[in-house]
Formats: sequence, structure tokens, C-alpha cells
Amino acid sequence: MRLNSIASAAALLTLALAACAAPEASSSRASGPTVPVQVSQTALASPGPCEDRFVAHGLGVADGVRIREITTYISNGAGLAAGDLDRDGDLDLVFASVDRESTILWNEGGLAFRPEPLDDRFTRAVNVVDVDGDGLLDLVFTHRGVAGVSFWRNLGPGPAGARFAREPLPGVHHYAYAMAWADLNGDGALDLVTGAYDVELKNHGVPEPQIAASGGLVLYEQIDGGFIASQLAQRSEALAVGLVDLDGDDRLDIWAANDFELLDGHWLWRNGTWVPARPFEQTSHSTMSIDWGDITNSGQVSLFTTDMNPGDVSTSVIAAWLPVMSMMEEHRIPDDPQIMANVLQVRRGDRWRNEAAWRGVDATGWSWSGKFGDLDNDGFLDLYVVNGMIAANMFAHLPGGELVEENRAFRNRGDGRFQPMAGWGLGSQSSGRGMLMADFDGDGDLDVVVNNLRGAAQLFENRLCGGSGLEVDLFWPGSRNTRAIGAQLELHTSAGVLRRDVRTASGYLSGDPPRVHFGVPAGAEIQKLVVRFPDGATAEVSSPAPQTLIEVTR
Amino acid sequence: MSSDVRPRYLAGIVRHPLPAVALLQPGRWAFPAAVAFAIGLAVSSVAYALFRIPTWAITVIVLLALLPVGVLKWREDRRRYGTVVMLLSVILITQGLHTVEHIVQWVQYYILMMPARQSTGLVSAANSEWVHFVWNWWVLLVVAVLVRGGMRGWLAMLLLAVTVLHAVEHTYLFVRHYMVLNELRALNITTLTAQGLPGIIGQDGWLARSPVTQGTFLCTLPGLTTAPRLDVHFWWNLIEMLLLLGAGHVFLRRLPQRAAVPVTRV
Repeated sequence: MRLNSIASAAALLTLALAACAAPEASSSRASGPTVPVQVSQTALASPGPCEDRFVAHGLGVADGVRIREITTYISNGAGLAAGDLDRDGDLDLVFASVDRESTILWNEGGLAFRPEPLDDRFTRAVNVVDVDGDGLLDLVFTHRGVAGVSFWRNLGPGPAGARFAREPLPGVHHYAYAMAWADLNGDGALDLVTGAYDVELKNHGVPEPQIAASGGLVLYEQIDGGFIASQLAQRSEALAVGLVDLDGDDRLDIWAANDFELLDGHWLWRNGTWVPARPFEQTSHSTMSIDWGDITNSGQVSLFTTDMNPGDVSTSVIAAWLPVMSMMEEHRIPDDPQIMANVLQVRRGDRWRNEAAWRGVDATGWSWSGKFGDLDNDGFLDLYVVNGMIAANMFAHLPGGELVEENRAFRNRGDGRFQPMAGWGLGSQSSGRGMLMADFDGDGDLDVVVNNLRGAAQLFENRLCGGSGLEVDLFWPGSRNTRAIGAQLELHTSAGVLRRDVRTASGYLSGDPPRVHFGVPAGAEIQKLVVRFPDGATAEVSSPAPQTLIEVTR
Repeated sequence: MSSDVRPRYLAGIVRHPLPAVALLQPGRWAFPAAVAFAIGLAVSSVAYALFRIPTWAITVIVLLALLPVGVLKWREDRRRYGTVVMLLSVILITQGLHTVEHIVQWVQYYILMMPARQSTGLVSAANSEWVHFVWNWWVLLVVAVLVRGGMRGWLAMLLLAVTVLHAVEHTYLFVRHYMVLNELRALNITTLTAQGLPGIIGQDGWLARSPVTQGTFLCTLPGLTTAPRLDVHFWWNLIEMLLLLGAGHVFLRRLPQRAAVPVTRV
């Protein structure tokens, strides 16, 4: 009888443990005053041929090919960004490069791009953002080595594309590797957060006291065209900076994704000041990139970080990794929340819980940029992660010092669990670093662009079948945040409420276009678009048509 | 079960509130065991002072010193209680020591905050995969003999199932260990070991990576696809030890009934 009781208790315990995966609660957001907006709609091109896969195109831009032997930390490659720089309606591309000048690819339609070098060398991250509030998208770069941030002001249309002039950003002077922009203090102007990569600075011979003083994680508040720096942390190994609401107070918080054993840094806005926080029970160890999105269409944002963890555990892959993993020192500190794996933070009540393993995305390889996007226009955010490593000083046992790995695409099954989609044709074995998703051919679906190291950049043209797209450009000309960075958008459809936000950066070293994409599942009716601007004001657009680009001007 | 059980001795352990504890009491072998332990420690201390031998060698020396006393004790157990009970005595002591090995690993990792690669316990540092492969097949063999010899009931069956699964897990680890070593040789790397890789369960294990299980309730069960290897094997052994104690307890309690019935000698 006693044994029966034990068995019953064990069964109850098993049921209780299995119940841990209860669906997350939806959130409600506070709304500010409703503001009038002007709306214009442009029909998007009809979707291209339906082949249920992506088609790869070389872009003629190659990073890291001028260096005979790539070692750390050239190995970290460079990012890219997209935005309509010349106001012609098409999204243009900007590539950073670790071994040459940067490049703008002017989108001439039909997936034809015209390259134009930009005399800014050895760049890492790039953001396309209207820094000065003149309505034109400017360019901001970070650099490898000891150079700081560079700012290229958009001077307006020229004979071919837009013209740019390099100008100083007054007050921005710390070493920087990763960055992101948003209006963090609510004054209407865009602020900047940068993070240094200390290990690379040490490699360049910068003494540690100087790194601590001139590097770190820095918040620059933009005031009257200048920037006031506040150093939030002296130590930084930031590979990415995420500006996202971590505590559900509808304000953007700061997240520095640190490489190596240095814990990720998180700062929450509390009572007019930035307070360090530890919001997560588990984090990636060497956090390479950050992205976020509502993967269940429940109103709750989930957070995704990448790390180094073999996606393929065949013995040949393990043997390729093992010499490097055995070299890595393991630092143990009490209550260390770090694990060497991708982490998918899902909100459960008041807590974030790592559900990456259950949802099938905890191991994708030596992963760099990992980003969400509705690739198949079914209304649910899918995931794409680019992988690989080249470093002769780490992978001397492999040909060319390169760990060759496939990029990995995952389809959202409709409940936030992910299914590998090898058949989508996104499994490139080039060594991807920066990556972004945007609609470059104006046909309503997301294409993917990857800045590869020691290889040509690739554009993967989306030829998946089904669904349609709705794209939104926000304009807020009366403010200093002319593209409403930080705005939240909700698309109410008969298939549910889809949520997106406007941001400048996510993933790894990659700048997002201010144009927001929604995938609309086939047969779904669009009811309304609700925009919540960064100052809390809201606007509604009734019954927007699918397969259109909507410009909403406040 | 052996039919040569002597009821006089059997009564001594069956009447004890914890018969397994009674079985393991060293009795007259306590002093020789203490002396053997002291000799083992002394020899290993000298060896360490002279040759800086590793921890696993120190442990092996101490265990070797204790072995003759253990053999004598188990020979006595066989004479008093029969072969099956003697085997139970052997497995309780040796699996107990093995569980200590995993507790040491756990303490090294979680209390002393040593890196995972150094949290190898007392003997596993020699070659974790060999030690555990051989060990778990030995445990399975003994448990199978115990079951055949009369250790029955659901606890014993659960123990047998867990032991089989544990042996399968270590076989998987052992095979992969050698496959990875071969791959490393193909890369001209001969100085690296391939120990400590994930197995079937736990973080980065076969279950965690299999498309069959991903997204199912299995991946929501705490630890099954997320626990580090060190935790996985700590729990494997602790559960196995507890089941062994439970099944052994039930078995020893029922011995008088079984002893009354002639049973084939094993």
C-alpha cells in the first residue's frame, strides 16, 4: 500500500513537471492618446514564381578576401544594414567589411544592385538610422580595432543614389563594436548605446586601464545635436546590443550580449535612472546575437540569443570542434547562469524561462546572426541562423582553418516550436556573420541577405509559396525620431494579432530597415493596423489591403 | 538462490530493521579493513611524494589495498548466506563506492566550482568512458544474476530496467568515444581525449537533438534533454543505488520464506 502511494506520488510529480509548459498569458499594453495619421498604400508586386524554396544570388561584395590568413578577431567578420537611402521606394544595402572599404548596394529593382564603395574601412557593425532628424536615413558604423564610431550624414539625392558626408558625432568617443539606436529617455531624439569588445582592444595593445576608461558599455543621450555619454559598465565584450523591453513596463531596456565568460549586461529604466538587473535564470555563454519577437502571436515577446553549440552531433563534427572546445578555459562562478547554447527566453508569469531545447533551437552550430522573420507568410515568425568559423589560430586542424557549417532555417509550427527546414535552400555553407531579412524585390515576402566572411555576400530570394505580405513604413516628421524607432505595431487579422516593432539593430552587427513586414496567411482577413508610437500615442489604419506597402505619416 | 543458506546466520540479518545494513556490517573485518586502508593511504602518499601520481592512481592503490579484506568478507558472506546474498553484498559495496565517485564529481563541480573537464571524481580521470562502460555492464550482469537468483518484485524489475538503460547509455558513449577518437586521428590529432561527450539523455544528447523528440513533452521534463552530463550520471547512479537498496531490502526480508523452498543453485 505504501509502495502504491509512492507510485501515485511519482505519477503526480510527472504530471506536474509536464504541466510546466502551459501556454503563456497574453499581455495588454497601455495606450496613449489617439493621433491622426495620413495613410498611403502602394500595391506590392505579385509574388514571384512559387518554388517552395529560396534561390541564392551572389552580390559581388566579399568580406575578408584580401587577408591571406584569417585569425581571431578578423574571424568575427562584419555586419550589414538595409534601408531606403535614396527614397526611391526600394531598400538599399550597406555592407561593413573587416578588410576593405564599406559598400553601398543601390537597389535598382528586380534584384539588381549597383555597388558604390564608401570610404570607411575596417568596419564591423552598420546601422541605417536618421540620426539628425532631417528625414533622411544616415549611416553609422563601428570598426574593428581601436577606431570608434563613424557617422555618414545623408545629404539627400545625388545623380545616382544619395550623397553622404562623414561628420563627427559630438560626444561619441568610446571604442565600439556593437551598437543600437532608440529614444531611451523619451525626449524624442534617438540615443545610442555602444559596446566595446575588450579582447580585440587588448590584441591591439590597448592597456587595460585605457580600455576600461574608453571602452565599456556606453549610453549616449542625444541632446541638442550632441551626445552625453554615460558609461554603464567598464568591462565589455559586446557582440550585440539589444534595446527591448525586458520587464514589461513598455519602456525599452538595455541588453549587452557579451562574449566569453563575462555575463551579459542588462539595465532597466527605474525611477529616472538605469539600474543593472539579472532578469534571466539562464543565458547563453558567449552570446553572439540578440533578436526578439512574438513567436506565438500571444502578445508576449520571446528573446533569442545565439552561441556556439554544434547543431550536428555526428562524430566528424564533434571531432572538428573538440580541439577548440578543449582549449577554451572554463570559468566557474557561483550561480553562473550561462550555458554554451542558444537560449530562447519565453515569459512565464513574472519569469523568463529558457525553452530553446524544447522548441528545437538550442543548437545551430558556431552561430552568429540569428533572427526571426515570417519567411513563409503564414503569420508566424520563423527563424534563420547563420553559422561557421574561420580562424587559422583556432582551427589549424581543418582545411583553411575553417569550420564549415550550414546555415539553418526553422519554420515556426504555429505554436512557437520550430521545425528545421533544410528544403528551403537556406543551408549555405559560406561562413555567415551579419544577416538581415527584408523585402528587396517588393513582392511582399522577406528575402535574406548574409554578409559572409572570406566569400561573396549572398541574397536569398524568397520563392516560398502561400500567404501574402503587408509592409509598413512609419514617418513622424515633426519629431527627431522621424522613422518612429521603437514603435510597436499590431496587425489584427482573422487569424490572430501579429506584432512587430521598429528597430535599428538586431542579430549580430546587423542593422534592420525601418520598414516592418507582416506575413498574412492565405485566407486571413485583415481588420486593422494599430500603431503605438514611441511616445505612447496610437493610431489606427482600418482594413489595410494585403500585398501593399503602407506609409503611415503622423 | 543457493540452498546452502545457514538459517542461524540468516536470522541475524533478516531480524535487523535494515537487513542490508546488517549484511554490510564489517564485523570482524573492520580492523583489517582499517589497517588495509591505512596501508593503502601510506603507499599512495609515498608514491605521490616520489612520482606525483594522479588522484585516480591514489584511489586505485587504496582500493587495491582494501580488496583482499573485501574478498575475505565476501567469502564469509558466501559461506554464511549463499552466493546470491554474497553477490548482493558485493554490488551494494561496489556500487556504493561508485555512487561516492559521482557525489565527488558533483561536489567538485557545484561546491568547489571546478571546471567540468576537471570534475572527474576519484578514478574516472583515468578514462571515464572505459571505467563507466565496464562498470555498468558489470552492474547489469550482477543485477541479472540477483534477479535470476530470487530478487524479485517491482523494485527489482525497475532496478533491472534502469540498469539496462544505463548500460545502453554507456555503450552509446563508449562507441562514440572511439568513433570521435578515430575522427581525431584522421585529423592528425593524437593528443586529445574524447571523453565527457553527451550521451543519449541530457544536454546536447541524442534525445535533445532527435527530431523525433524535439517539441514533444519529453523535452519539457526537467533535465531529460537539458541536464549536463555530470548531473545525468549523478542521478543515474543515485537512482540505481536507491533501487538496489530497496530491492535488496525486500529480497533479504523474504529470504526465510525462500530458504525453506529448495531452489536451483546459481
